Amino acid sequence: MLDGIITGLTTAVMPFNLLMVVVGCFAGTFIGMLPGLGPISAVALMIPVTYGLDPSSGIILMAGVYYGAVFGGSTSSILINAPGCASTVVTAFDGYPLAQQNKAGKALALAAYSSFCGGTIGAIVLLFAAPALASVSLSFQSADYFALMLLGLTAVAAFSGKGQVLKAMIMTVFGLMIATVGTDVMSGTTRFTFGNVDLIDGISFLLLAMATFALTEVVMTVLKGQHKEEEPDMNMAALGSMKLDRDEVKEIAPTVARSSVFGFLVGVLPGAGATIASFLAYGLERNLASAKEKLKFGKGALRGLAAPESANNAASTGSFVPLLTLGIPGSGTTAIMLGALIAYGIQPGPRLFVDNPDVFWSVIISMYFGNLVLLILNLPLIPYISRLLVIPRPILIPLILFFSITGVYLVSFNTFDIQMMVIITVIAIFLKLLEFPMAPMLLGFILGGILEKNLSRALTLSDGSFAFLWERPLTLTICVIAVVLLVLPMIRTLMEKRSQPGPEQAVTEGEG
Amino acid sequence: MTLSKDQIGALVFLCLSLTYGYYAGQITMLPGDEFEPFHARTLPTALAGLGILFSFLLLVTGTLAADRKECRVVLSGYDFVLVAKLLLLIVVFALALQWIGFLLATMLFLIGGYWLLGERRPRTLLVASVPFAVGIWFILAQLLDIYLAPGQLFVLMFGG
Repeated sequence: MLDGIITGLTTAVMPFNLLMVVVGCFAGTFIGMLPGLGPISAVALMIPVTYGLDPSSGIILMAGVYYGAVFGGSTSSILINAPGCASTVVTAFDGYPLAQQNKAGKALALAAYSSFCGGTIGAIVLLFAAPALASVSLSFQSADYFALMLLGLTAVAAFSGKGQVLKAMIMTVFGLMIATVGTDVMSGTTRFTFGNVDLIDGISFLLLAMATFALTEVVMTVLKGQHKEEEPDMNMAALGSMKLDRDEVKEIAPTVARSSVFGFLVGVLPGAGATIASFLAYGLERNLASAKEKLKFGKGALRGLAAPESANNAASTGSFVPLLTLGIPGSGTTAIMLGALIAYGIQPGPRLFVDNPDVFWSVIISMYFGNLVLLILNLPLIPYISRLLVIPRPILIPLILFFSITGVYLVSFNTFDIQMMVIITVIAIFLKLLEFPMAPMLLGFILGGILEKNLSRALTLSDGSFAFLWERPLTLTICVIAVVLLVLPMIRTLMEKRSQPGPEQAVTEGEG
Repeated sequence: MTLSKDQIGALVFLCLSLTYGYYAGQITMLPGDEFEPFHARTLPTALAGLGILFSFLLLVTGTLAADRKECRVVLSGYDFVLVAKLLLLIVVFALALQWIGFLLATMLFLIGGYWLLGERRPRTLLVASVPFAVGIWFILAQLLDIYLAPGQLFVLMFGG
């Protein structure tokens, strides 16, 4: 493990990779600040840029963007009460009231310190948890992999909001269906191409990710008329002091520690992600508070801000555990990273630890650097970065559209891809209006190829019998967890639908 | 009777799964593949089945909850016309890329986009598009040495 850490450290401290962390954090902070664009969109927008880099630098850049976007989302939540992404919705509960009390500087600093602590604790736990899990999963066979893919797909659906489980399952199947378009790698026959030469290679991951997350999210802001909204009027002079006094630090220290560990654990669960972690951490902190302190929540409580901020950053780190060790993304954003790694020819999972130790360890080490960059560079620059928020939307939106489109075009140089993006965007808008979540679709699409390959291998080895699903205790255990995860929420939803007149809509879209 | 969001979604996916299943049956198989435990049709057929099952379940649960207010489709307040124009602009941009090349197509796309979203000042339209397009073109074509086709129209007019 020490060799690995040294390899990772050597790769991560290379000047170019350090630059990638800084660039990623800045770009992520800016994109994350824009209401409507979250970490998924930010990471999706970066994919074309990373194609020109080596795998370590590319994934380091994306990890930086991920953190930056979560941090940027908190900034817009605090300053203008407009969360950049779902995982920072809770930040606005107490962050915005603090800003209204002319304590925006303190709120931003608290958010940055909590994020830093959350991310750091998460990175340290990851440092020990990931290799341990990876070494266990080295004994996995194709049947186990197939069961793992099933678990990953069902977990994403299971952790969707109330009443969304069936929709998430449908979207997962839809993603798997899209993955079957093109040439079947095992037999060489074409499937669902309808004679179109452009579809022989299938639909590219980049195109699908950019169309469903970057392009669709921007177009949705236009559809809702958000481009007409006045640019936020921010008085930077009223940010106030960014210092925290000793009592305040004492007050939030246990909260940060608790929420970080809690957030990390929630983030490790495939599909749970930063949004659920931040909501749960806020709820937990509120429940732990005394009756008197409870009243402060929602009116500018420091604990109410520190809890979700520590939790969402720790969860972001935690979501890398299943990605790096099992090849199953813990969130929509890590799903995009999984796709990018596969595009590099790297297969995340148990073998990553052995085959590409530089990628494995440098990502973990650079996470720590990412947190440092956010604290040391981004925080003092927030007053300046947030000025970008006042760029008029009619100017900003076409520019983001341009980057989304050309990001895809410059990889393939095929204008058919742009037309395809428009078609996918129209479908995605239609589905979003019907409240179908997009992340499961992308996950199904990414895992589709691997799932088919492992199923084929397992079925061939067992001579066509599905007994491989229960012959090995490990496979059986994973399958049972997958079935339980799938069935329980469905039963719960059905029971709630019968007993309650109005189910609340949970926010899972744009999951960080 | 008005259909709810879930019912519409379920019916769309039911149709999609049925169509997908039909075409899954049309996938060409190699000789002898039908005796193999796994072939090119296996996963698509299973996915079609799952799609039909889940859509049907959604249709049932959607019908049970169809009377609720939040399940109804509300289309008011959405600017579909503007979105259609913006998407059309992207399609035109794709065509323009082929015919007039990257630089001019980018300028026109940006000016068109700003215009559609309400920016009318000629100076802003030009300042926010021309230097940006030239800058991007310079970075891509000159600094990164990426070949950007000049556009078929110019090739036809001035030769390759």
